[in-house]
Parts: sequence; structure tokens; C-alpha cells
Amino acid sequence: MKFVLSMAARETRSSWRRLLFFFICIAVGVAAIVTLRSVIQNVRDVLGGEARSLIAADVLVSTNREWPDAVRATIDRAVAAAGATAQTETLETPTMVRPVDEKKPVAKMVELRALQPNFPLYGTVTMTDGTPYSHAMLQNHGAIVRPELLTALGVKVGDQISIGQAPFTIRGTLKNEPGRRIGGFSLGPRVLIDYADLPSTGLLGFGSRADRRLHIRAPEDRLDTLVLSLRHDLRDEFLNIRSYRSTEDQIGRDFERAENYLSLVGLIIVILGGIAVSSVTRVFILQKMRSIAVLKCVGARSRQIIAVYILQVLSLGLAGSLLGTAIARGVIAAIPYFLSTSTSPSVLAEAHYGVTSSAAAQGIGIGVLVSLLFSIVPLLDVRFIKPSLLLRDENTRRRRDWLGYLVLVTVSAALVGLTAWQASSLKIGLVVCAGFTGLAFVLMLAGRLLVQVVAPLANSRSFPLRHAVLHLSRPGNQTRVILLAVGLGAFFIVGVRSLQASLLGEFSIQTAADSPDMFLLDIQRGQADGMRAFLSDPAHYAADAQLIPVLRARVVGVAGQETNLEGADAVRRSGMAIGREFTLTYRDHIEANERVIDGVFWKGPSPEPEVSVERQIAERARIHVGDTIRFDILGRIVSPRVTSIRDVEWRESRNGGFVFVFRPGALDQAPQTFVAPIKGPAGLDERARFQHDLVEKFPNVSVIDFREILETLRDVMSKVTLAITVVGGLVLFSGALILIGAVAMTKFQRVYEAAVFKTLGANTRTIARMLLFEYGVLGSLAGLIGSLGAVVLTWGVSRYALEIPWRVFVGEHVGGVVLTAALVAIIGVFSSLDVLRNKPLATLRAE
Amino acid sequence: MIELREVSKTVTSGSEPLTILHPLSIQIPRGEFVAIVGPSGSGKSTLLGLIAGLDAPSSGSVLIDTVDITRLDEDTLARLRGEKIGFVFQFFHLIPSLTAYENIAVPMEIAGIADVRARANGLLEEVGLTGRAHHYPSQLSGGEQQRVALARALANNPPIVLADEPTGNLDSANGRHIMELLRNIHSRRGTTVVLVTHDAELAAMADARLLMRDGRVVENTLRHASARTADEVAVRRQRGDPSTPLGAGHVDPVLTSDPRS
Repeated sequence: MKFVLSMAARETRSSWRRLLFFFICIAVGVAAIVTLRSVIQNVRDVLGGEARSLIAADVLVSTNREWPDAVRATIDRAVAAAGATAQTETLETPTMVRPVDEKKPVAKMVELRALQPNFPLYGTVTMTDGTPYSHAMLQNHGAIVRPELLTALGVKVGDQISIGQAPFTIRGTLKNEPGRRIGGFSLGPRVLIDYADLPSTGLLGFGSRADRRLHIRAPEDRLDTLVLSLRHDLRDEFLNIRSYRSTEDQIGRDFERAENYLSLVGLIIVILGGIAVSSVTRVFILQKMRSIAVLKCVGARSRQIIAVYILQVLSLGLAGSLLGTAIARGVIAAIPYFLSTSTSPSVLAEAHYGVTSSAAAQGIGIGVLVSLLFSIVPLLDVRFIKPSLLLRDENTRRRRDWLGYLVLVTVSAALVGLTAWQASSLKIGLVVCAGFTGLAFVLMLAGRLLVQVVAPLANSRSFPLRHAVLHLSRPGNQTRVILLAVGLGAFFIVGVRSLQASLLGEFSIQTAADSPDMFLLDIQRGQADGMRAFLSDPAHYAADAQLIPVLRARVVGVAGQETNLEGADAVRRSGMAIGREFTLTYRDHIEANERVIDGVFWKGPSPEPEVSVERQIAERARIHVGDTIRFDILGRIVSPRVTSIRDVEWRESRNGGFVFVFRPGALDQAPQTFVAPIKGPAGLDERARFQHDLVEKFPNVSVIDFREILETLRDVMSKVTLAITVVGGLVLFSGALILIGAVAMTKFQRVYEAAVFKTLGANTRTIARMLLFEYGVLGSLAGLIGSLGAVVLTWGVSRYALEIPWRVFVGEHVGGVVLTAALVAIIGVFSSLDVLRNKPLATLRAE
Repeated sequence: MIELREVSKTVTSGSEPLTILHPLSIQIPRGEFVAIVGPSGSGKSTLLGLIAGLDAPSSGSVLIDTVDITRLDEDTLARLRGEKIGFVFQFFHLIPSLTAYENIAVPMEIAGIADVRARANGLLEEVGLTGRAHHYPSQLSGGEQQRVALARALANNPPIVLADEPTGNLDSANGRHIMELLRNIHSRRGTTVVLVTHDAELAAMADARLLMRDGRVVENTLRHASARTADEVAVRRQRGDPSTPLGAGHVDPVLTSDPRS
């Protein structure tokens, strides 16, 4: 044992430089795992273990309509029966606010939340300055706002803002409150006001988009009964009823899934590191053959020598894992600085970032395990090294190595186990391992094929090119490993960048000269004429505006050739994507982005109801021309006949894309509001002034500024893209490390060859060109493999996951190939500087 | 005692079998200093490798102190080498990542011997390298490296030292120094030394000589083991004079190379 320990220490002391790549490969992978797991756990911690505070209740009933009296009566009965101890109501609605101070001509969309005195039933409202929250702060037209609103409006605590028709005094700045939506797309900063002050704002006019929530506190043992009875009694109503338990389960599941998937990404990086470890170990043992033979000659047994190297591998794996944890700590410490530049507030900004002990333990465990698993097979070769090697070089013929096969099977099973552990699913573990093996196999085949394709270059007249190509298929070369690792890295990066370009292209809203860039919502019928006049006033810079009538409705039945559904419950349970609430309109023309693909679009109004249905919904719900759909439009049932199916180009739907369009006539007198897509003023100040003036005249009208939304979207996209690019970058970095390792490890062979070439008259430039060609060809092949893989990846993800049109971004792919080739060539040549520098005589003598 | 019975070695060269050692039987008595001489390719090193158990014979058996080492598995063989055989190579074969001291300590650590430090330092002193203990092989001259290799071979105080052209890679001064060390070891410790060399002058320093050519022993000056009594060995050791060649041209009756091969 003493021999094993002291020998391992001596070996590590003398060969740590050669094995530096070993632990950097492990460190990168472990850093990825620890960072990803810790971040998810940190974010999860923000939401708290207390799921009740997530919904600020035991049971939450919510609706986006006014509470019908009958519904409230049913709820009250059930709540009383369940022995509820408290309840409180909140209301959320997006609206515009502006400073009361006329000198500040700005307006901003916010998410308004009105609270009753006993809110919250669970959790606490926290203020940025640490002062305790009390409902008294909101009473008598007080408001608590997010700090970013102060900046946006140029106001401070104590100033007044107009919400709807009423002025409110800002009494404090909000840090966090229970019961807000998590991860939802935010239209603007949060503003809290007193529920009692809502009527004075005049915001709750017809058709306003308000989310009403009833928070209930009830005894623990009656919760399930209460939820079930409410769901049963109110099954035909548009209500969402859930308990904190289901929320907890859902959030728990979402986070667990996210954590496991991200950890898998980390594991893939570690496995790439493992491939490098395997390759490094193999070459290391090759280089150590004579020393091993000497040890055997002086009495060491194979298992003692294997133990020495295993101990060395474990200590390097541990050192790499600790380094990885330290890197993760650095990366995580940098996150708050990165997030502070963000314009949109999010749950991410509120987390306290740090490496969690469970993530660190898992990372270190995986680092050490992967080091061991990937090095044990090459280490077994120690058994075949004969001490007679010291007397003469000979190739010993290997017998069938059953122990080797057994270890290989065990290692494979352990890897599947490791992946399954990280993904928390044996199935995923098997699928990922099979996928990885399949991908590696395809990359290997592609590599072999491509090497064959370039093989004719071995007859080239250029000496460096000829030898570069020959080197690709020399015995003991690292071509396959490099192609696999670098190809995989290129595949990830090019794939992700193509997807990003594809998504951004899909989201981008062209702000061409004449296309609308603002959307006015909730224009009441009585305001329509006034709004038209306001918009056509040249003083407001607006061009002609079209006011589009909108009604909110839901499908409560279909009588058709294929689909027959009776009642809202049947529609909801059919799973045909028509169970949600729809916004519909009526008009007598089709828009430029629409095309009738079946039936005939009407001309002029008709008292008989007719509807035109969008193609995708029609296909999913199997609705055809001639069918009848029953709509519930605010309690009134309308049953139009389907007279046409339209194809809608949603990307171009700047005038509002509608799934259901009615023929004018039937809905003209129904309760409705208007929306208006308009082209707002060009300058930032003018846009602010325009919104301010509009909100001042029509306080209930909301303005969605596409430019702002686009900015927010870009911000989110750039963060997601950055995150994915970082992961892809890590994969490529691992690939580069494997490359450097492979080059360094095969250097002894190259140094000798270069010495022979030099003796035969080749100068340093020729040898440099030879290396440049060799790595250039290798890099091009790896880039090509990655790029082709990325084309397949983007096709699959676009077509099946994102459901967006598939486009090939030639620039990304060609750029990927060129950059990979350049990177590999540069790293290859720089790692081989010794080869160029060494004097031939010294090298040849040493041999 | 070392005994080889009908030992041969055949390797495959390309697809053809090539006999590098024809069947031979010899006995080397304990405490003997034997030189195996012959031109390159005559099978000297192969014979030495077979005695050390570094290589397995194609036929026959090799006995070290009556133990047939051809029947031992790799691990038992390694242990036997550690205990009974010290080996010195032409190209030193020190472990480059270990210092001179550590190279000497390794066999003792493997054997689990106590007091490694004192013994390793004593050996360094014996080969005159006290001041070079913490130097790596790359920092030592060829002669110094070979002295470290010799000290390593003696680490576990083995009864047998096998040396394969130990001076072949050294200048004449260093070569003489190594030979003196070997003679001292033989005389002071009574160690059996088997030396492979193609230098007739060096071979003359040995008690006996085996001349090899084309894989056969063509001359053997070894006397039968039984002919040398323990007393004689003791006297010779006491005298400190191992160099009593038995005379060139003497063909020993134990030379039993198979005349058919």
C-alpha cells in the first residue's frame, strides 16, 4: 500500500503537466453541472418552500370576467361548508399610468393590482427600503410601485400618478409580493392600489382585461373536498380553481424537470471531458510503457501498478472537480452583475446566487466518477505490458480479454446509471446514452467517410498537403476523437445559433415606414368617435386609424360533419384547442395576410350569423364549411354557420389576427370594445407625449408599444441565446481541450517525425505548413460534420418543437465551418510549437 | 542455483518462425560469476531474459533455487524477481519521473521492506552517489545512471544479479567502474552474477564463460555445480578473488545443447 501511495504521489508530481488537460476537461464539465444546478436551486429558493405564498392562499379561484352573482353564491356556499376562515379578493389588469405633473409628458403601461385589507393571507409584501407593508399605505388613493416605474415616469415617492381617471400618491417602492405570476410575460411594472379605490379609476368598464382572484384560507383537511366541490359545481363556468398543493406540485415538477435537463447538458460536457480523459490516459500509458516494464522487472504486480494510476486518476479527478466548483463559484458570483443590466424585472433578479452544497457534492461526485470510468479501460492495458519490453521491442499478441470486456460492460452500465441519476429517469438515461452513442457513431462514420473523401489529396503535388492528409490516417492518430469532440462542439454552437436566428426572424416585427407599431386596446363603444377624431388630428402625428371591433367569446358547441360537441364541458374535454376563450371580430373584407382556402368569403352584412375559421384551428378541431359552431358571447348564444376557412399568415398580422371572423350584421349591436393598430410618432419624446395625451383623454385605454415589447423580447431572447451559447461554448471548449490534449499527447511521435523530415531537408516552414494543412483539413471536416448535423437539428426543432418555418442560415453554417477550421488549425499549430523548435539531432539521439 | 533444462525460444518474424535460442541445458552454481559472451544476435540477452523470467521460453523450464519459474503466473513471477533477482540493463532503464533515491527505494517499497531510507542511502553510498540522491535520471551522467541502476538491482539484497551489457553504453572509464562494483558485490556478498557482454576483456574477469553463437552455446567453462563445494565458494569469497577462469577451450561435460537442432 505504501508503494501504491508513494508511487501515485511521485507520478502525479512528475506528470501533472502532461495530465493538466485531464483535470481541465473534468473541471469544465463539473463547473457546468455545479453552475446549472445551483442557479436553478437558487431561483427555486426565491419562490420559497412555502407554496401557499405563491398563490397567497390555500385555494385560489380566478376568472377574467366579472363574478356572476350565481357563481359567487355557489362559491360562498362551498366556502362556508368547508369552514373557510378567511378570504380576500384581488384584481389585476394592465393599464396605462402617467404622472399627474403636466410637465412630464410620459405614460407607461403597468400591471395594476388592487388589494383588499386582509391581503395577503400567506406570505408578506416586502418593500425595497425594508419598511413593513400595511394596507394603510394604499388607503385613500395610495400606490406602491416597482422602482423601475419611478425611473420610467421620472417621478419619486410622494409624487402623484394618474391611474385611469384618478390620481394616486406613490407611498413606497415594492420589492416582492405573494401571489404574483411566475415566469409569465410581463407587460409592465407592478403597481399596487387599494381595492376600494378601483371604481374611481373607471378602468372596469365593459370588456376590460381584468383578472379577478378570490383567495381563500380553509382548514387543511377540507382543502381537497373544497376544490373538488367547486370544480364540480362550477364546471360550466370560465373559472380556474386550484389549491396550493397542486401549485406546489406543478412548480416542483417544472423546476425538477428544468434542473434535470440542464444537469444533463452539464453531464454531456463532463462526458466529452471523459472522452478526453480516456484519450489522455491511453496515450499516457503508451508513454509510460517502459517505466511500467521496469516496475514489473523489480517486482511490482499489475494490480499494484493499476492501483497507482487509479489513485492518480482519482486525485486528478478530485482536483479537477474542486477546480470546477471554484469556477462555478466565480461564474455564479458574476450573475447578479449581469442581471443588473436587464431592463425587465424578473424572478431571476431576486435570487441570491451561490453554489449550493448539493450541487457541489453532485458535481464533485460526477467529476471523480467520470474520471474513473473513462480511464479504467485504457488503464487495464497495463496488464499486457511485459517486462521483456526492456530487452527488445515487440508486439505482444493479445489474447481474448474477458476481464476487459467485463469492465467495458460495467463502465457502460455505470454511465447509463450516472445519466439516469442526473436526469432522474432510467428511460431518459438510456435514451441519452443511446443518443450519444448513436451520434458518436454517426460522427465517427462521417469522419471516416470524409477522411476517405480527402484521401486522393495524398497524391497532391504539394509535399505539406500530401503528408498532412497521410497523417490523418496514420496509426495511433487522434483523428476520430478530434472529429467527434470538435464536431460535437461545432454541432451545438452552429445549431443553437441557427435556431436563434430562426426564432428572432420569426419574432421580429418589421417597423417599416407605414406599418403599425402601436396597439390601442379597450376603446369603449362610446369612445370610438372621439378616438377617431383624436387620431386623425394632425397634432397627434397619427395617420388614418382603423378601429377594429372585438368581442370575447368561447365555443360551447360544434355541430358538424366530423365534430359534434354539446356544451362547454364537452368542448373543453375534447382537447381540440377550441376550449379557450377567443377574441373575435366582424368585418366584410379579408386582410392582406389572409387567404380563403375553402368556401366563399361574404360580401356585405347579413342578419344571419356566418363565421370564417382560421385553417390550423379548423384542422385541429376538424371543422368544415357548412358546420355550425355555438359561441357564448357574454352569456348570449350565437350559432353561426362556417362559410369559409382562411389561411392566416400570423407573422404579418399587424392588424390583428383573428381565428374567428364574423359576417357583419349579427354582432353589430352586441357588447364590444375596439382595438386600433396605429403608426405612432417616430421620435421617443413624441411617442411618450402621444401616449400621455391619449391616456389623459381616454384613461381606460391601454397602449401597447410594439417597439417596447420588441425591446423586452430581444432582451429575453438575448439572455436565452447567451445562456445556450455559453453551454455550446463550453462544449466547444471541451472539444478544443480534447484537441490540445490529443496534439500534446501525440507530440512525441511528431517531434521524431519532424526531426527525420528536418534531417532529410525539410525546413521549419514546410513542417509548419504541413501541420497547418493537417489541422486545417481536420478542422474543416469537424466543422462540416457539425454544420450538417446542425442543419438536421434546426430542421427537427423548427418543424416539431417550435412549429416555425425551417430556414437555412447559410452564413451561420459556412461561418461555423470556417471558424472551426481556423480554430483547430491555430490550436493545432500552437500546441505543436515544440515540434517546430526542437533540434533534430537531440531528438534522434534521444530515440 | 540457476538451472535451465532444454530451454528454447522461437519468435515469429513476419509470418516465419525464427529460433533465437536452440534447446540448451545449463546449471549455474550459487555464488558464481559467469560471463555470457558472443556476437550480436547470438541469443545472449534472450538467455538472460529467460533466466530473469522477463520472458517465457518456447519450451523447457527454468529453475531458480529449484522453483520452476516457467510455471509461475505473472504476479508470482514479479514477486520472485523482486526477492531474488536484480537486473541491470544496457540502457539503464531508470524511471525518468523518479529521483535516484526513489528509483532505488521502489523495489524495497514493493517488497514491503522496512527501513527503506537507511538502506537506499547505504546503497547510494556503496555506488558512490551520496550527493546525487535527489537528482533525476536526466540530471545524471550515463555512468551515474548505471550506478543507480546497479544500486536498484541490489535493493532487496537478491542472491542473483543479472547484467545485460552493463557497460555497453558507457565510456571505458565508467565501464571499468561498473565492473569493479560488480566484482565487489560478487566477492563481498557472494551474489551470483550473470553478465552479458561482447567484450572479451570484461568476460575475462568472470569465473566462467558461456560463448554463444547463432542461438547455441558453443563453449562453456562452467564446472558442474556439484563440483564446486560450499567450502570452495567460502574460501574464494574470503580471498576476494573471483577471477579464476577455468581455461579457454575447455568444454564442460554439462554442455548438453541438443546436437540435432
